[in-house]
Amino acid sequence: MFSRRRLLAGATALGGAAFLPSIAHAKGSVAAAIYPGTWEEAFRAIVAPALKKKDSVDLELQPLFAVDQVAKAKAARGAPPFDAFVLDPGPRITAIQDGLFDKIDIKKIGNASKLPAGLVDEWGIGVNAQVVGIAYNPKKVPAPKGWKDLFTDPWVSRLGITGFQTTFGTVSLIEIAKVFGGSETNIEPALVELKKVLPKIAAVGQPAAMPGLFQQGQCDVIYTNTQTVATLKGRGVDIEFVKPDTGAITFLTTLHIAKGAAEVANAYKYLDIVAGKEVQEALTKPPYNFIPVNKDVPLPDYLPMKSLDEMSSYVRHDWAKINPLRAGWIEKFNKEMAK
Amino acid sequence: MTSERTTGVARPRRRLPLAEWQLALPLALAFASIFLAPLLMLVGVSFFNDDKITQPGFGQWAKFLGDPFSYKVIADTMLLGLKTVCATIVIGYPLALIYLDASPRLQKVLIFIIVMPLLLSVVVRTFAWIVVLGREGVVNTLLLQLGIISEPLRLLQTELGLVISLTQIEMPLMLLPLISVMSRLDPNLRDASAALGASRWRTLFKVIVPLSMPGLVAGCLLVFASSTTAFISQTVIGGVRLIYLPLLIWQQSLVVFNWPFAAVVSLTLLVSVLTVVSALSYLGRRSGGYVHG
Repeated sequence: MFSRRRLLAGATALGGAAFLPSIAHAKGSVAAAIYPGTWEEAFRAIVAPALKKKDSVDLELQPLFAVDQVAKAKAARGAPPFDAFVLDPGPRITAIQDGLFDKIDIKKIGNASKLPAGLVDEWGIGVNAQVVGIAYNPKKVPAPKGWKDLFTDPWVSRLGITGFQTTFGTVSLIEIAKVFGGSETNIEPALVELKKVLPKIAAVGQPAAMPGLFQQGQCDVIYTNTQTVATLKGRGVDIEFVKPDTGAITFLTTLHIAKGAAEVANAYKYLDIVAGKEVQEALTKPPYNFIPVNKDVPLPDYLPMKSLDEMSSYVRHDWAKINPLRAGWIEKFNKEMAK
Repeated sequence: MTSERTTGVARPRRRLPLAEWQLALPLALAFASIFLAPLLMLVGVSFFNDDKITQPGFGQWAKFLGDPFSYKVIADTMLLGLKTVCATIVIGYPLALIYLDASPRLQKVLIFIIVMPLLLSVVVRTFAWIVVLGREGVVNTLLLQLGIISEPLRLLQTELGLVISLTQIEMPLMLLPLISVMSRLDPNLRDASAALGASRWRTLFKVIVPLSMPGLVAGCLLVFASSTTAFISQTVIGGVRLIYLPLLIWQQSLVVFNWPFAAVVSLTLLVSVLTVVSALSYLGRRSGGYVHG
C-alpha cells in the first residue's frame, strides 16, 4: 500500500524531474531543432563540442524535420520548444509569414562576414547549400543526361519518385514540368508525363524511404541531393550524381532564432559557430558531406562545381510563389498517382 | 469493507467508498485533459474554413465529403484493416491452437516468438520488410534461384506486400488476447465433446471457437485499429500510391499546415475505425450470448 509519505516522496521526485531540463538550461545551453539523420549526427559530433569548447554552451538538439519545426512552433504560440530553427526555403517562408522568427542582429554573428552576400538577411543566415540532381546506379543503368531521359527506357522502369512533401521533391518535379513545357507555377505537364509512365515506374515512395529503396535495389534512378549520394557512396552503394542538362538545382539551408526564444544570446553563439570555418570544414568531411558556405572553406572534390560562385548559375526557385500552390499540388499528386 | 467481510453482511447495492473514487480522480482528470480536451479542440478546429483558423464554417467538411476521392481513401483504409484482420485470424488461430496443445516448455518458446515483434521498433520492423520484399530481397532472390520466376516480382509497394507485413507486425495483438482466453478454457470440455461423439472439427467449431470468441473479438479490434492507423508501415512498405487516411492527415497537418482539413480527416478516421470496432464488438457480444444463452 502507498503511505502518504511515499506518495509525497514520489510526487516530489516527479516534480523535481520536471525541473531538470530548465536547470540544465540555466547553466548555459541552447536548444536547437535539427533535421534527423545525418544533420543530427553531424551537429552532435562537430557543432556541440565546438560550441562547448569556445563558449561553454551546451547544445541540446531536437531532431525535427523542417515542417515539424514550423508545426511545433506554431502550436506552441509564442513559447517555442527550441531557440533555433534549421529550415529549407519553403518552410522558411511559411515561418516568416507566421511570425515565428526574431529578426537577427548581424553584428552579433562575427562569421557572417565570411558568408557570400545572398546568404545573410534580416531573418537568419544560410549555413549549408544543397544541390539537387539525378542519382543513378552505374552498374544497372547508363548515366541519364537530364530530366527528360527519366521518362524513357532504360531509366523509366528503374525510376523511383517522391511527391511534393519535401523541398528536393518539389523542386525536382518543377524542373521535370519545365522540360515538358511547364513552369515554376505550372507542374501539370510533369503529372501528365508521370501518369503516362506510371505502370512502368519502379517506386513511388516517401522521401525518407528513398535512400533505403535505392540501397535495396528497388529503384536505380532517383532525384536527390549530393549529400545523400555521398552518404550512400560512403556505405558502399553503387551511386553516382548527375547534373541535369538543364542545370542542377540549388537551395539554402538556413538557421533562424525563434521568436520568444529562451536563450537568445546563446542562440547567436550557436549561429556564429555553425557559420565558422572550423565547423564548416569539419562538416564537409565524410560521413557528413555537407556543402560548405564559408568562403574560407574549399569545396570537396566530389561536388559538381568547383566554387560557390559557380552555383549562381544553378537553378533556384521562388518559394513565395511555390508555397501557396503546394497544397493543391500535393492533393493532385495523390489523386493522379493513387492506385 | 473489512467489517462487511468479517460479519458476512451482504448489501444489495454496495456503494463505492469515497477513497476509491478519489484515487481514480487524478487519472480521470489526466485523461480528460490529455485526451478529451484535445479531442474537443480537434472537433472545434475542423469547423474553420481557412488554414489560419480564423473563419468558422463547414467549408473543410464540405470539401472532404464532397470529393469522391475521400470515399475511396476511407474505403481503402477500412479494407486494409479488414484484410489484415482476416490474415491474422487465418494464421493466428491455428497458431493459438498449437499453443494450447503444446507442452509448457514449448509454450514459453512460442510466447517469446509471438511477443518478439513487439520488442522491436516499428521502424526496424518496417525496414526489415523492405529487405524481405524488395526487388533484390529475400523472397525474390529465393524464387529466382529456384527458377520459379524469371523476373523479380513486385511485392513492395503493393497492397499484398503491405498486408503480408502488417500481418506479421500486428500478429501479437491478435494472439495475446486469443491465447489468454483460450488458456482458460476447461480441457474437460474438449474431452466431453469427443466422448459425446463429436469429431475434432465439430469440437473446434461448436466448442472451442465459440468459447474463444471474446479473445478473438478483442484481437480483431486491436489488429483493426492498429493496422488502419499504421502510418509508417503504410507509407514505407505500401509507398505513396496506396493512399490511406493517416497519410492524408500527415500531409495536411505537417506539410501543408491545413490543420482544419487535417482535423476533418482525423475525425473521419476516428469515426470510421470506431464504427467498425463497434460492429465487431457487437458481433462479439452476440456470439457471447449464443455461447452462454
